[in-house]
Parts: sequence; structure tokens; C-alpha cells
Amino acid sequence: MIKILLENTDKVDQVRLEKYKQRGGYRALRKVLTMDPPAIIEEVKASGLRGRGGAGFPTGMKWGFVPRNTGKPTYLLCNADESEPGTFKDRILMERDPHLMIEGMAIACYALNCHLSYIYLRGEYEFIAHTVQRALDEAYEAGVLGPSVLGHDFALDIHLHLGQGAYICGEETALIESLEGYRGYPRIKPPFPATHGFLASPTVVNNVETLCALPWIITNGGAAYASIGTEKSKGTKLFSVSGHVAKPGVYEVEMGYPLLEFINKEAGGIPNGHKLKAVIPGGSSVPVLTAQECEGVGLDYESLLKAGSMLGSGGMIVFDDTTKMPEVLSVIADFYAHESCGQCTPCREGTGWAAKILRNMVSGTGKWSDVDLLLKIADMMEGKTICPLADADVMPIRSFVTKYRREFEALCSS
Amino acid sequence: MPKFTINGQEVEARDGQTIIQAAEEIGVDIPHYCYHPDLPIDGNCRMCLVDVERMPKLTPACATVVTEGMVVRTNNERVKEAVRGVLEFLLVNHPVDCPVCDQAGECRLQDYYMVYGLHTSEIPLGMKVRKRKVIDLGPMVVLDQERCVLCSRCVRFCDHVTGTGELQFFGRGDHVAIGTFEDRPLENAYSGNVVDICPVGALTSRDFRFKCRVWFLHGADSVCGGCSTGCSVRIDHRDGTIFRLLPRRNPEVNKSWLCDEGRMSFHALSTGSRIVQPKVKGPAGVPTAARWDEVIASINSRLKETAAAHGSGSIIGIGSASATNEALFLFKRYLSDRLGATRFEFRLDGEDRRVAEREDDLLRRTDKHPNSMGAMKLGLMDAELGGIEGAISAARAGRIKAGVIIYLKPLVARPGDDAAEARVAELVRSLEYSVVLAAHEADWQSAASVLLPIAAWSEEEGTYTNYEGRIQFAGRALAPDGGSRPAWQVFALLLGADGTEPGWTSPEQVFESMAESIPAYRNIARSQTRLPGVVIAV
Amino acid sequence: MIEFSGDGKRRYQNILSHYPEKRAALIPVLTLAQREFGWISKEVAEYVGKLMGYPASDVLAVASFYTMLHKKPAGKYHMEVCRNVSCWLKGTYACVDAIKQRLNVDFGGVTADGKFSFALTECLGSCGTAPAMQVGDRYYEDLTPASVVEIIEKLAND
Repeated sequence: MIKILLENTDKVDQVRLEKYKQRGGYRALRKVLTMDPPAIIEEVKASGLRGRGGAGFPTGMKWGFVPRNTGKPTYLLCNADESEPGTFKDRILMERDPHLMIEGMAIACYALNCHLSYIYLRGEYEFIAHTVQRALDEAYEAGVLGPSVLGHDFALDIHLHLGQGAYICGEETALIESLEGYRGYPRIKPPFPATHGFLASPTVVNNVETLCALPWIITNGGAAYASIGTEKSKGTKLFSVSGHVAKPGVYEVEMGYPLLEFINKEAGGIPNGHKLKAVIPGGSSVPVLTAQECEGVGLDYESLLKAGSMLGSGGMIVFDDTTKMPEVLSVIADFYAHESCGQCTPCREGTGWAAKILRNMVSGTGKWSDVDLLLKIADMMEGKTICPLADADVMPIRSFVTKYRREFEALCSS
Repeated sequence: MPKFTINGQEVEARDGQTIIQAAEEIGVDIPHYCYHPDLPIDGNCRMCLVDVERMPKLTPACATVVTEGMVVRTNNERVKEAVRGVLEFLLVNHPVDCPVCDQAGECRLQDYYMVYGLHTSEIPLGMKVRKRKVIDLGPMVVLDQERCVLCSRCVRFCDHVTGTGELQFFGRGDHVAIGTFEDRPLENAYSGNVVDICPVGALTSRDFRFKCRVWFLHGADSVCGGCSTGCSVRIDHRDGTIFRLLPRRNPEVNKSWLCDEGRMSFHALSTGSRIVQPKVKGPAGVPTAARWDEVIASINSRLKETAAAHGSGSIIGIGSASATNEALFLFKRYLSDRLGATRFEFRLDGEDRRVAEREDDLLRRTDKHPNSMGAMKLGLMDAELGGIEGAISAARAGRIKAGVIIYLKPLVARPGDDAAEARVAELVRSLEYSVVLAAHEADWQSAASVLLPIAAWSEEEGTYTNYEGRIQFAGRALAPDGGSRPAWQVFALLLGADGTEPGWTSPEQVFESMAESIPAYRNIARSQTRLPGVVIAV
Repeated sequence: MIEFSGDGKRRYQNILSHYPEKRAALIPVLTLAQREFGWISKEVAEYVGKLMGYPASDVLAVASFYTMLHKKPAGKYHMEVCRNVSCWLKGTYACVDAIKQRLNVDFGGVTADGKFSFALTECLGSCGTAPAMQVGDRYYEDLTPASVVEIIEKLAND
């Protein structure tokens, strides 16, 4: 299968600039530096690349929203705040091929006429920060970054910025707020970051994986990228698979790859003779799929949506038939309650309330009526907040409770 | 000027107006906690969600600008359900300690619950997030974290209005609580405002809490007497006692704010003793009580004698920058028309120079009188005397024999006050005949030939002219204390002492006369002095 | 009165140089402060506030949002064990029990010698190598009750 992102992640010393260059690195950047920025944006649009952080918004279109000649600088922020439960895909790119990300960023910056860019890396990944910082230092030394990128009349600074533990900062406006030095409260949109982002300037926030796809797209052309995958979901996607599988890890597959085949082949199937019970295909925020629902589903935006879930971040968690679903949901609900920023009433109160109800249920003190109360709380939260965190709690709550209702009821008395 | 439809009614909004603002103007109330017209938009409470056609999700009315052709519904079932949901969420961790909460009557949680909620809230106490109660945040404010709905109004006030940033959110999720660093007191000069803007019982006034249930209070619209800014206020009172001052929103003057000193200024009114009846210094030099009618007649005749004996230049009028325009107008009218007096002053401490001088960047001004500009507009300055010191010298030199002096102690104290008052005392002692009008007793008043008790601030209806020449109406909250009378009435009596004037029976009539005869006030109707007031050239 | 070390001051200046506006440096500066002083005490918040020109309340409010900034003293080795789905499926709590037993402290506690503290944390992005824990700038993955005890022994003798 074609490898766009993970082609070199297993190779020796790929983290070193020298090796990265030897294996073809920074040629795409050299190429774009001779191109017209609008032409680059067109190429990215043609590739059909969509944001790999979770929302799946077309990358080229996002870039197209950035106004030119506003008199303000434009910022590119690389979202490396990977924190969606079940997701560990960006990590491998940064740990093993950091220059790919830097090259992707440089390409994006050139296309957007951005001269100052940040990598917002989750603080827990400090061990990766060392790798990324070394790569940045090398890039500066080699003139890949700095006042004259690869000898061209284009200046670019990239700085590494570490978060300090807040899932919500992966949401782009919260990320910006946090980067500005505040509590990571998502902002009301509009205005959108494209016009009023970091320091009220035009800003693009792109996920690590999204940026890492750019060198290949530039080298091979948007059309080549668009020829991979399905009609609407283009290219390849990283899936990080964990839970009850024999070979958990990060795999790159063409969009549309069959979900069950992915679990059974790439991920090595369900170990210990157990059967598949359920799958969270795209991080804990997306609806769970029952084993039955997984049949015939492809790993792409549309197919997963049709099946009642979402592609999300590609953080896949697999559950075998021994799994107690209310306990899983309780773990998930605790997460959202812990990570709610506390700004909007429905999310602040709803995530905490739901988590407590679930804790009661799991500990055997739940009431029969709590099952419906959970669904009511989900309705009360859904679509009523500034950012999607509440909805990210709603989706697992609603899908777990409706699909595994009997398990919940069995825990409740009265 | 986009046209839009709200609940079936087609209306025009102003450019850039949000739905909540446009709705408010046509009397459509959209429930809200975090929105405040004088604070930056935050959009966190989610109470103002409305249904806008072609928008898939409900949208916050506070953060959505009206656009041409927009169709908004604020009262359909979808919206009501959302509002009910938010209210239910707000009660999840609320202690529901309403019986002992001093916000009752002014609590938006209670109010909206009556309209939208009425659901049962059955979350056991053990499931609620407990937070801290009764935290002392300085002389003005008491904090109860459990009652807080986390609307951030107070946080935004400290961040954006005073720029002091003391109040902040701490923690995350349903453990977020507002507070200050180490429970330190709010240190800004406007801290009381956070109590006003708190929509629930989280921030209550240390001064007012548990003094009176708010529904027993009566409100009178007034203007703060604490400085020359003249903030619009409401005096909340009951049974002859003032319980609190609150800012009234005046976008042209104070927005929704009031400084702490102004807010507390009413306490100065009940500090010290009031003068309860007119007093006349007897032959032995001892002041003795007298009847108003006798006193008025005797003042009038004695001043006329002085004018006849020493010329009208021997009489001086010292107005007060804390008196109303109406009082000062009749004061001057009496002295000039009846006695031919030409010498007038009001400056005890350079008020004319300081009238517009800022004490901070927000509201406070260094001149602690509400009506210095009014006194200036009425011509109560004498170039030759240059202030009260000139009058003292002239009196000592015998050029001035008699004087009528209005003295009202500033409601907001400053170190120079005693010296200013001492100058008034000195003048009184230097005059052969002095008529002093005052509200509160002071030792030096025993030197006055006649002492007349007048209404204090809040007891007299009238107008004040602020530093920028804005004339503002101040209503009367309380009846004048004891035997005192509004100063305008005292001069109306003196003007009527000869039986020649038709007489003024209301401050309104006085204002009309003033508007007729004083160039600065020409063509101004008294109704214009109501919110936000009317500005004359300074 | 606390103060950054000489190295800390150099780092502080370097952090400032990365941002067009000073405020953006606040969280990295708090991170630096934690490295220098161990945790974000009120004294530290006040120091950072004075240094950068923000009210101490503002600084502490920011710190209180981020779980990695400690609002109480932490051990030299602060062990954060992931409690999220994949780690939970793979037996996080067995490891947690082993840690508790070995250190004789509960969540949020610090050992008497100040060497260890431990807490549960949310998804560390080690779901494929679950269960996992973070200790400073190191991840320990594929944990077992036996391996966590080994790790503690090793760190204890450090």
C-alpha cells in the first residue's frame, strides 16, 4: 500500500536533517519557493486534502479564506496538541520524521505568506519536544529556516511552544487563546481565525498530519493525491489503533480501506479468541459502532458518517466481547468532565453531571431513570455551546446508551 | 440599517447591532446572564440562544449581529427548551439556598426559573460540587462561590473597565470558581459595581446585605453628589432611610458604573447632627430657635438696612457648588434683584479650576461637588475677589458687611475639606451680619447671625450641571429632615417677603424661570434634563 | 523573595524573544518557573506577575487551567498514570495499585522524602503501548504492576 506519511518513519536516523535530505527531503520546499503562492493553494485544493485533526475541513479552502494584504502578519499554527483519547498518530510523525512536519509547515507558510509560525505541542510530549527542537535547530543551521529560506527571498521562523495540559487547547480557537497566554477558552466564531486569529491577525491552524501530507502533494501534484482514496475522501490517513487488538499501533491506509479488514489484518485481529464487540473509529468523541455496524464500512469520511459515526482523528479503539460498555462510557465521560474548560453552562454542568451519574451506575448506585436522564442531558448539551467539546461528550453518551441500553439498565435498581 | 423579523414583527436594526440589542429596543426581552451592554461580549451563559432561520444551530443573540432579512424567533418551543435546559444545568451545582440569600428579588436565576423552569431539581447535595461561601473581598463585596453562574461579568469588569484584574476564574470544568489572589480584597475604586452586575447572589454588597429585602425599597432617580462627574444614580430608600445608591445606566456619563466613594457617599448624610430649626443669634450672642416666617422677615429687613446704610456692594452671596441650580438661581436672584448685590462667589478651594480635572481614567474627578459648573454658569464668581479668600479680606477690611452663605459639606471627603470649611467659618466671623444655610451642624455656625436648616442631597428635587455642562435632573428621595427646607424654597420665601413676586411653588417653576433668564440655559426644557441630560456650552 | 537563577533569566529572555507580544510568553514562562521552583505557588505566581507586568490573580488563574502546572508541591518524580480508555482496558488500575502500595501514597500525594508524587492523568497518546505513564520528560509504556515497581526502584536510587 502507498505510504505518504510513514514512508520513512522506520528508517535509520530519519530525524536527522542529513538523512531526511538524502531521502528526498526539502525538495518539495525548494520547488514551492519558485512557485506562485496562489498556485500552491490551488494545488492543495486540487489534492482534496482535508484536515486530519478531526473536523475534516478541506485544507486548501481553509487557506483560501485567509485575506491578503491586511497589513497584519499571517500566522500558521501547527496543531500538535494531540490529546483525543485513542489518538497517537501525530506523535509518530514528530518522533521519527520531524523534518517532514517542518517541511510541510514551511510549504504552508510560503503559500500563506507567513513568516512566523508556531508548533503548539502538548506539554506531555516534552520528550518529543527534544526531537523537534533538535530538528528545528538543524533546519536553522542549514538555512532551511531563518531570514532566507533555502537561499530564497523568504524569511521564516518556526518556534516550538509547549502546552501545559488541557485537551481543549486542541480546538483551534482555544489553541490560539492558549498560545496568547490565556486560559484555553474557545472563542465565539465569527470572527474566524482566518481573519482574526493569533493576536487578532489572519491565522491558519493545521494538524501535524495535514501538514505532513504537503511535501508529497507538492512533489507529486494534487491530482496524484486526489487519485488515492475514495471519491470524496482523498489520499491516505493515519489510524492509531488500540484496545483489544493484537498489534496496536499507527497504520497508514488509503481512504476507504475496509474497517474490519483493517482491524483483522493491520491490527492483527482480536486476541485471545475473543470476538469484536464495538469500535470507536475516530477518537473517543465519535459515536461507537457495534460489531454489526462495522460490516461493510470503509475508513473514510463519508462511509463512517453513513454508518453513524465519524472519521474524527483516526484514533481507533477496539473492544472485544468481554468489555463492559457502561464502564467504558464512564471513563470517557470522566474525561470530558475533566477537560471541559468550564466556560459554557451546558458543557460545564452537563459533562460533570453525566460523569457523576455514570460513576453512580458503575458503582451500583444508579437508578433506572438515570438511563433516560443521560439521554436527556445529551439533548440539553447538544449544539448549545461555543465549541464542540460538549457534543464530543454527547456522541459517546448517546451512542453507548442507545446501543447498549440493556447493559446500563442491568446496573440500575429501582 | 438592516431590516429583520423577530417573532413575526419586522423591525429595523442599527448597523452592527446584535440581536439582543435590537430586541431590547423594541421591548423583546431575551434572557441572559453574561451579556452586559457595557462589557465585552463573552457568550458563555448560553441563555440567549435564539432560533435564526437558515442557521442550523441555535445562536447566541448577544454575539450575533443582525443582518438584512434575518428571521429570528426568541419564543418558539426549540428556544424555550434550550433556555430551560440551561436553567436546569445552572441548578445542578447550585446550593439552592434562596431563603438565606440576599439577592432574592433581584436574582436572575429565580426570575428566569419562574418564567422558563419550574422543573424539579433532584440532584442530591452529595452529588453537587461544593465551593466556598462568604468570602470577604474587602469593604464592598462578599463572595459566595457556590451561587455563581460563572457569567464572567465581574471578571470582565475588573479586566476591561478598571484594568485591575483582581477577579479571575480558577480551575476548570464544573470546579471553576471566581475569586481573587489569596482572597485579597478588591483594590479598585469601583469594586461595588461587581455587585450590581452580578446577576445572582454570588457577589453581594457588604454594606447593604441583610439590611432590607429589596422589594420593600423605593427608588428615586438622582445624580450622585460625590463629584463633578454627576453619575446617574438611583437612591433606594425606605421609611426615611437611604439603604443604598445604585448607578443608573447613562451611556453619556457613567455607563453602568459608579465609584465606591460615590456609592457610599450617602452615609455622610447621616454622619453628625442635622440642624433642625432656624436659629437667630440673640443679643447675648447665643443662638436661639426661631420660626421660619419671623426669620425670613428679619433677614429681609436686616439685609435691606445694610444695603441702604453701606451700599449694595457691602453684601456678598456665597453659593455652594453642592446646591442645586434652582437653589443657586433663586439665591442670586434674591440678592441681586432685591438688594442690588453684585458680589457673588462659590469657590472655597479652586473649584472652577478643578471642575473637569480627572482623578482617574474612569469617572472620578477631583472636584467633589456636583454643581460647580452650575455655579459658574450662574455667574457666582467675582474676578476681583477670586474666591472666598478675597471675600474674607474684603470683610476684614470692612468693605463687605453682610453675607448670605450656603454651605454643604462634600459627601466625598478629601483632605482639603476642613481648610475649605474653616474659610467659610472665617468669613462668617468676619462679617457683621451673616445668614448661613446649612444641613449639618458645625461649631463655627454659632458665629452666624442667622442659621437656616436646608435640605441635604437626596432631600431636594432639582438639577445639577456637571463638569462638561450636562444638566441633569435629580429627584427627591426623602423629605427634608426635621424643620429644614429645600434651599430654593428659602430663597423663594425671601423673594416673596415683600409680597411683590408671584412666588415659586415648585423646583420646576424655578427651572422655567432660570431657562428664561440665564443665557446658558435658554431654550432648555426641564424634560431634557432627564436621562441622559442635556449639555450646554462650557 | 524568590528569583529566577542566572540560567533561568537567560531562558526567560530567550522565551520572550519568540513572541511578538509578551503575553504569549506567559505559559512558557510559567513552565520555566515550575522548573526553577518546583511548582506554581502563590509566591511564584506573584513573582511571574511582577516580572511580566500582570496581576498575580491573572497569572494564577492561567496556571489553574493547565493540569501540568502544579498548584501544590510535587515530588522530584511526578508520576502521571493515564486513566483513559485504552490504558484502562489494559490494566492501568492494577499498576496504580502497585504504585500506591510501593509508595504508600494516594492520588495527589507526595512521598515523605519528597521524591515521588503521583496522579492520574488523561490520555497521554500512548494508547498503542498502554498502559502508560509520564514522569517528567519521559514516557514509560506497556506498564505492568511489576514494571512500575521496577521503575520506581530505579528512580529511587537515582
